[in-house]
Amino acid sequence: MFGSRALRNRLDRIRARVDGPVIRTSSPTVGEAVDRLASSVERHLADHAAETAAASRLTRAFDLIPQGIVLADVTGTIAFRNRAASGFVDARHGEALVEQAIGEMLAAAGLGKRGTRTIDLFGPPRRAIELRAGPLRVDDEAGEPTVVGAFLILDDVSERQRLDAVRRDFVANISHELKTPIGALGVLAETIVAEDDPAVTARLAERMQQEAFRVASTIDDLMQLSRIESDEPTDLELVAVAEVVDGAVDRTRAAAAMAEVDVLVEPVDPSLFVIGDRAQLVSAVANLCDNAVKYTDAGGEVRVSATRDYTGWVSIVVSDTGVGIPARDLERIFERFYRVDRARSRETGGTGLGLSIVRHVVANHHGEITVRSREGEGSTFTFRVPLVSPEPIDVDRP
Amino acid sequence: MTDADLPLDVRRGFHHTLEEIRQEMVHMAALVTEGIPRATETLLSQDLAEAQAIVDGDDPLDAKAVELEETCYQVLALQQPMASDLRSIVTAVRMIAEIERSGDLVVNIAKSARRILGNEIPARLRGLIGQMGEEATTLFRVAMDSYIDGDAALAAAIDDLDDRLDSLHRDYIQEIFRANHDGDISVQVAIQLALVGRYYERIGDHAVNIGERVRYMVTGWLPEHTGAARVAARRSSRDEPPRG
Repeated sequence: MFGSRALRNRLDRIRARVDGPVIRTSSPTVGEAVDRLASSVERHLADHAAETAAASRLTRAFDLIPQGIVLADVTGTIAFRNRAASGFVDARHGEALVEQAIGEMLAAAGLGKRGTRTIDLFGPPRRAIELRAGPLRVDDEAGEPTVVGAFLILDDVSERQRLDAVRRDFVANISHELKTPIGALGVLAETIVAEDDPAVTARLAERMQQEAFRVASTIDDLMQLSRIESDEPTDLELVAVAEVVDGAVDRTRAAAAMAEVDVLVEPVDPSLFVIGDRAQLVSAVANLCDNAVKYTDAGGEVRVSATRDYTGWVSIVVSDTGVGIPARDLERIFERFYRVDRARSRETGGTGLGLSIVRHVVANHHGEITVRSREGEGSTFTFRVPLVSPEPIDVDRP
Repeated sequence: MTDADLPLDVRRGFHHTLEEIRQEMVHMAALVTEGIPRATETLLSQDLAEAQAIVDGDDPLDAKAVELEETCYQVLALQQPMASDLRSIVTAVRMIAEIERSGDLVVNIAKSARRILGNEIPARLRGLIGQMGEEATTLFRVAMDSYIDGDAALAAAIDDLDDRLDSLHRDYIQEIFRANHDGDISVQVAIQLALVGRYYERIGDHAVNIGERVRYMVTGWLPEHTGAARVAARRSSRDEPPRG
């Protein structure tokens, strides 16, 4: 009898440990004690399973967040990383520096210090990583906030920085491109008013004409660009690639002759056709040829070729032996008004919109444009468009 | 010196310590692999503030090198490692010096950027500087990849990769002569630029040395063996009595 009471009490004590601090009633029999313990354990296991499921849902949710999230205890020892942050474990090269910074910032955050750092990685690829860390605080029994751990948020801000630069430079450049010639017009007109000598007046008027022409061509390009940007091409037809190349090169011949640059066109297979807007395609390739001539010194050469590449697309390649493009400007040259060398572009008289037009024409034709360049050796632009457009289009066959 | 004075807790497992040394070296090397393209851009854009930042940034690298070398000596003295463990530590000691020296060369490039400030670098030379910077970065990355992965085959390939940098360097020197002859750059600028080329070329050589150290760590092979083998062969052929 005594043995069974001891056993009963022992079972009740175990149940109390499973249930935690709740009012407990002693069980009348050993059988009852076993049943109650069993149901307590069941309940406990169910709670535990629910917690585990909730935790795994939370982890999944964290993994879907594009920013990296790292959590640590007060000593800075890392307890959790979401997927975006998992690339910075046992890292090498530039990523190793980010890993080190994460460790340092979490250790500081564990001591209650907040911090923000931006790390520019030269890569390649070039990236900018922003790290923000701070302590995690929970109120203790006395209601005082106490540091219980540290968190860190890791954000790849490369794209944001790039867009900021694009926006900033665009505003500065457009005001420059429009204000400079208009300012010049104003000054020239002012001088003419005060000028009596007909020879000088004639010369000034000529300069005014040039400046007016300059603003007009900038505005023309801007309008063409916004048309290309806003509409899908409407005049879709089957266009012979040879015609596009010839049309584009014809527009460049005069400028090339003036600049003493040879333009060499490789014969294009007459059976190559693409579906697209003839005028847009010619204008895009002409812009590429025009640039190639402008940025090549006298005696250099520009080569134009068009072939069907191994992916079944048409590649129109325009390469030159010119000054080339510095590596850091390469990814920005397709932006509106972006200039690598302001002094040179002023001499050559471009509007700074040519490559933006090319990029939009390519996008309208579901194609792509790539560029390779070395300073002092020249540049190669490859304009690729699919032979057959991915969307069904009515075609007026010639 | 009591245990508590030791900068590194030597009672922890030896391999744990080895792992820590390895990680520290990866961090040191990362400063160099990031430093090369940074210095190249500083040179090409003539950014004075960035040049100063690179010069200042070398101090932590030097401090880390001294500290890490000290750690290696302690491990050697206290743990007396053998075989591959010994090779790992010896490799670390030699590699720390290679990495530290490469960091100095990055600083030299930044200093040259300051010295040629205000002088325009002709386009072809800019292109070649960019290419040398890329090659040197690649070499250093590959060298560290071979170390981290313990890849002796990759390490052995670095010497061939370095040939590309060497040939770029030769083209570059020729181009400097030409630019100077054509009056595009002064003798002062020509000399600074020639030194810059030398710095990249030397970084490549340090990467090759790291590759050789990695081969030694993984396989026990030493570059000197080929030279030593030749000496031995010559000696034995002399000692041999003439035939016939």
